[in-house]
Amino acid sequence: MMSIIRNKETTRTDFVFYADRIIRILIEEGLNHLPVVEKTIITPTGKEYEGGVEFQGRICGVSIMRAGESMEQGLRDVCRSVRIGKILIQRDEETALPKLYYAKFPPDIATRYCLLLDPMLATGGSAIKAIEVLISHGVPEEKILFVNLLCCPEGIAAFVKVYPRVKIVTAEIDGCLNERKYIIPGLGDFGCRYYGTDK
Amino acid sequence: MKSKLVHHVIAAEGRPPWYRSDGQNCDCYIVGIAGGSASGKTSVAQRIIKNLNVPWVVLLSMDSFYKDLTPEEVEIAHRNDWDFDSPNSYDYDLLLETVTKLKQGKTVDVPIYDFETHKRVPNKHHTVYGANVIIFEGIFGLYDPKVLAMMDLKVFVDTDVDICLARRIKRDVAERGFDVAGVLKLYQRFVKPSYDTYVYPTKRNADVVIPRGLENLVAIDLLTKHIQRQLQERKMQSRWDMARISAPEELPSNVIVLEHTKQIMGMHTIIRDIHTSRHDFIFYADRLATLVIERALNELPYETRIVTTPTAKTVEGLGLKPRVGGVSILRAGGTMEIGLRRVIRDAVIGKILIQTDPSNGEPQLHYCKLPPTLCDDNTFIFLMDAVVGTGAAGLMAIRVLLDHEVPEDRIIFLSFLAGPQGLHAISSAFPKVKIVTSFIDPVLNTDTLYLEPGLGNFGDRYFGTENE
Repeated sequence: MMSIIRNKETTRTDFVFYADRIIRILIEEGLNHLPVVEKTIITPTGKEYEGGVEFQGRICGVSIMRAGESMEQGLRDVCRSVRIGKILIQRDEETALPKLYYAKFPPDIATRYCLLLDPMLATGGSAIKAIEVLISHGVPEEKILFVNLLCCPEGIAAFVKVYPRVKIVTAEIDGCLNERKYIIPGLGDFGCRYYGTDK
Repeated sequence: MKSKLVHHVIAAEGRPPWYRSDGQNCDCYIVGIAGGSASGKTSVAQRIIKNLNVPWVVLLSMDSFYKDLTPEEVEIAHRNDWDFDSPNSYDYDLLLETVTKLKQGKTVDVPIYDFETHKRVPNKHHTVYGANVIIFEGIFGLYDPKVLAMMDLKVFVDTDVDICLARRIKRDVAERGFDVAGVLKLYQRFVKPSYDTYVYPTKRNADVVIPRGLENLVAIDLLTKHIQRQLQERKMQSRWDMARISAPEELPSNVIVLEHTKQIMGMHTIIRDIHTSRHDFIFYADRLATLVIERALNELPYETRIVTTPTAKTVEGLGLKPRVGGVSILRAGGTMEIGLRRVIRDAVIGKILIQTDPSNGEPQLHYCKLPPTLCDDNTFIFLMDAVVGTGAAGLMAIRVLLDHEVPEDRIIFLSFLAGPQGLHAISSAFPKVKIVTSFIDPVLNTDTLYLEPGLGNFGDRYFGTENE
């Protein structure tokens, strides 16, 4: 599947379909890292089934606009009516640093496990900013999972240095960043390919 | 060599309406700055921007409008024998076109000039959109009469020529790999004669002359105050009091309301019910969105298509002629994307984030990413929002599309629910935009700006961000 979405010849229809499939798998894996409690249930045969589990605590998705929104469909496929917060982060042209433009969260976000959605971890700048915003809204660092499709070592290093307790769930780790801060070999601009806004 | 600020819209906050309530753009404010080479034009421009402290200011440099050189001319240029300081080195037609469009509030592509090859970088440019103020600077900034005519304020930076020369030597030796003799040769041959013959005389076109450039803080301060005052005066008394305007009972003719079948009534009953759970809300919202999209598709042109069936007979059918692109007004309009995708699998989707400023109820543009194919001759745009209340966000989004050269008659504005005020506001500003909605609610609450009976805050219910 990663070969399909990395291929520059892939049509948009296929790109969206396989990206959604990968994202579903990533979300499923992310959910495995949330705590569960044992739960005994009674089956329709009237017998007890021991060893059942139930998720403890509630979750919420947080997508970094615009590319992170492309992962919402995959999240909804797995967690039907999940609450979804949104963050818009853009690079400040004056300082070249990521800057928060917009954030909208469920009011009780501090009590939830957060799945932070952004398809690519390149320099880590916007992800670090997003975590900072979540923490300022009262979400503990260890209750955040960062879900993405593709990472590079530079981004992981920068991210882990600031937030060592945030777990990262990813599909693949690539070689490096190029001088334009694209992941190499990478897959191009995920948001543009998903929404069809590339030229 | 120039600052990173060049050509970038500085958008520290949302952009308030830049058009009147009839949907027409107000001209943006243009400041022209001229002066000799190394006189400190860019620094003055940047200081003005910093002092102005208003968002959505663009710094446009005349360097972007150098003409492409032919291979022979490039060779001359590499020998440092080419006269870049001649007024003929610039493409005034392109400059005029760019400044005119910016003045009208349209999106423009500013070329990127490569000083190595002395050509514009092919297929690359800076797209500039959404400037309330443009600061245009260059040695011939006050030279072309047509460009001059568009400026609201003309400034000449009159720095002592010795200081300019000293700066130029320092800069060219440090940054451009010249030696002092080379700089002086160019200066004597081209820079100085051009300054005396062409640049300095443009001083008489200026409204304000700033002696000593950036050092002259008093002059820059006075200038900034003047610009601020002028901006304040022309600040549109837009008064987004649309809620208080009583709308005629009859709907505008460009509004299409879905037929109220039992299905539609049933779905509306569910999504309006305060007790509906979120997963039901999302499920039925997606289903309803799909029907709104299907209805809107009937408004597009179709062409005859003849197909052969497996019985080997032919059938005269229809095929959709244009392509369809979606643009969602975030956050709530994003809820229609799933419906759009169900019907047009690979629809290209652009996004516009508009939020209401809580202090005055005005809409503000925060973010806009539109695909380049949106303005194709063969593309219709489905502009999506959940609920049309005052119509302010829809009006702004349509204005953004028009500023990006999308023809008005190729925009179809879709929503789940709309009120008469918003529909009248939009269709009186943009009568050629078709509006498709699944339901009309009569009352717009002037305090909450929610439609009544309505369905509450659609985005909050869909994304689960409402207060319990």
